Amino acid sequence: MDAFYASVEIRDDPSLRGRPVIVGGSSDRGVVAAASYEARVHGIRSAMPSARARQLCPHAVFLHGDHSRYQEVSARIMAIFDDVTPSVEPISLDEAFLDVAGATRLLGPPEAIARVIRDRIREQERLPASVGGGTSKLIAKLASVEAKPRIEGRSILPGPGVYVVPAGGEQAFLDPLPVRALWGVGPKTHDKLARLGVVRVADLRTVTLERLVGVLGQAQGQHLHAMARAHDRREVETNRAAKSISHEETFAHDLVDRGTLDRELVRMADAVAARMRASGVRGRTVVLKLRHADFRTVTRSHTLERSTHSAPTIHRTAREMFDQLDLGDGVRLLGVGVTSLTTDAADQLSFDDVLGAGDGAPAEAGRTSVEVDEATNSAIDEIRRRFGHTAIGPAVLATEDGLEQGKPGDEMWGPAQLPPR
Amino acid sequence: MKFRCERDVLVDALATAGRAVGGRGTQPGLSGVRAALTGDRLELTGSDIDLTISVGITVSGETDGVVVIPARLAADIVKALEPGAVSFAAVEDELKISAGRSEFAIRLIAGDDFPRLAELDVEAVTIGADDLAGSLGQVIPAASTDDSRPILTGVLVAAEDGGLRLVATDSYRLAVRDLDNAFVLSDGQSVLIPRKALQELNRILSGGADVMVRLGEREASFEVGDIRVVTRLIEGDFPNYRGLIPASHPNTLTLNREELLDALRRVKLLAREATPVRLDMSADGLELVAVTQDVGTAREQVEATYEGNDLTVAFNPQYLLEGLEVAPGDLVTLSTIDELKPALVRAVGVDDFLYLLMPVRFS
Repeated sequence: MDAFYASVEIRDDPSLRGRPVIVGGSSDRGVVAAASYEARVHGIRSAMPSARARQLCPHAVFLHGDHSRYQEVSARIMAIFDDVTPSVEPISLDEAFLDVAGATRLLGPPEAIARVIRDRIREQERLPASVGGGTSKLIAKLASVEAKPRIEGRSILPGPGVYVVPAGGEQAFLDPLPVRALWGVGPKTHDKLARLGVVRVADLRTVTLERLVGVLGQAQGQHLHAMARAHDRREVETNRAAKSISHEETFAHDLVDRGTLDRELVRMADAVAARMRASGVRGRTVVLKLRHADFRTVTRSHTLERSTHSAPTIHRTAREMFDQLDLGDGVRLLGVGVTSLTTDAADQLSFDDVLGAGDGAPAEAGRTSVEVDEATNSAIDEIRRRFGHTAIGPAVLATEDGLEQGKPGDEMWGPAQLPPR
Repeated sequence: MKFRCERDVLVDALATAGRAVGGRGTQPGLSGVRAALTGDRLELTGSDIDLTISVGITVSGETDGVVVIPARLAADIVKALEPGAVSFAAVEDELKISAGRSEFAIRLIAGDDFPRLAELDVEAVTIGADDLAGSLGQVIPAASTDDSRPILTGVLVAAEDGGLRLVATDSYRLAVRDLDNAFVLSDGQSVLIPRKALQELNRILSGGADVMVRLGEREASFEVGDIRVVTRLIEGDFPNYRGLIPASHPNTLTLNREELLDALRRVKLLAREATPVRLDMSADGLELVAVTQDVGTAREQVEATYEGNDLTVAFNPQYLLEGLEVAPGDLVTLSTIDELKPALVRAVGVDDFLYLLMPVRFS
């Protein structure tokens, strides 16, 4: 993400647009967590002491920031990644590696996938992002830097947004880069390398491994020797155990009507199920989250006997938990999610599936309810792929004007209820 | 009541009657075994109301009487005594158990608390114990142990084509066994007998003697020699199991039962945490595969003939094993439609047994 925290603040308060915005500790002992490009023009960088930033740019807008808000935005951005591939390795709130090798058949070449990701983040979150691509993590990371806007002198040069280094082009891409761009090259290492006459990656390649190890030590010497040659075999590591997919929504007014809230459950279960299928995952634990008007928040979870990625099952499970809850003075926020997701689920099928006697879809002649369920899911996914998300949906969301809309998390922060500044 | 008896005879009888005695938390009367002495005949009866087991033994009786003794404690004491004669004597509310230099006095249970057992006023039908023993063993494993669906914890016994049909399912697999010439029920009649009762019956059937069967409206009784098992019948409608058995299967795998069992037991070692065993079937034969993430992989080729489309289907290895273990004969067939539909295990040349099981969906 480009200047993530600052971009979120600017998005939510358009009066900040075009102004230098700094998110971070505003006391003299604080540091800059993020700076808009307008602030960077003044030489402000993240991790810089706030006092120094204030000197460089006294008229900048200093904001405390709201980490939990950034976390929630991040979760939704990560969810976009999950839609592309289950192989996502988040690095921080605003950065992640995606292994898209398995997604090219469905979504096209890496460049196209990169654009899809960037466009979706812009459409859904109205936030700027830059995507770099390459045959290894090293190249992809450096390419993402190329994709970002740049500061030259006092002006902001827009970046290409997407920058993909083609297979075979790795060395040509690396060679002209300053060694400082490489991971593990801080000021000290930079000085040591400078003494060897190394400025660019191309220079680094001329230094023998023995020499590098002699100057920088075993670990770092070997590391840089490999990096300079684009040797990077690290895999994208996903931590599947911790993954979950959820949707939640803060309502414009606190809701008290169970029917209205149930429609929200249907909508969210449908959205969660669709995302699970797009990510190729199934899960067994359904989570319901409900925040009361007085901000009291309750979460309930229920673990199913078999894994699912079907909206009716998720909704029914959430609904059963919902029916047990007292709504009190009203519901401010409602959320539905599925956790303990897995790509290799194993579910014992039952004769109930053959007889259509279970909780799933009815069985048909020659088809078990599991098959009917999967066929329904595939049909829904295909219709949405071809005709758009609102081309088909749960019947309770139908109105005379078509499907009741509601993009995931549209009103997560409450409509225009920005914190006072 | 007072008698003497060989320790080993008493140990066996107390254990058998005690098998019907409920576990923890049962009402006081049900934690006891009723001992009734008439002349030299001692009848020991244990009951948890649903299931009652009575054992008759010959003792050297002195004073007739009826008492209810704590089942577990009495069995433990008698088992621990020196071999030889044991004497039981009830004096007021205590039972004195003595053998050699050991002497115990244990508190009796009030007789009023012991359930009254109804006599079944139905004519008995006799079946060969060996036939029944083998057949029960073939269907009992498929019956459910989950009390949340009581109907499935029973074995359906139905009159069928002039014989008897035993059916059990836990909704994941189904076992059906036909017995010829066993006219226990009138035509079209069927009863649902709890798995637990049949398990106990199966345990005592090995004598080779005949079984006298009585089927009543609400109860059934089975007598083998001096042992009688009486059970409550399960009320309700058994699921339509006929509708589960596909009319035809496009794919058939034929192979040696023991070879498949051995291979399956080996490969199963790597099917942990609910991961299934995959059966890769093709013209080349069968390959069993088990993969458990972070644990490892097992593969084994099994010689087999296969007719049909190449297919990979996964099963809970335990369910498949239990079906193969009770299938008769040396050669078995596994018939399949696809990876989501029921698969059928049968013995080649044997029509009186089938085992149907649902696959595991894996991704």
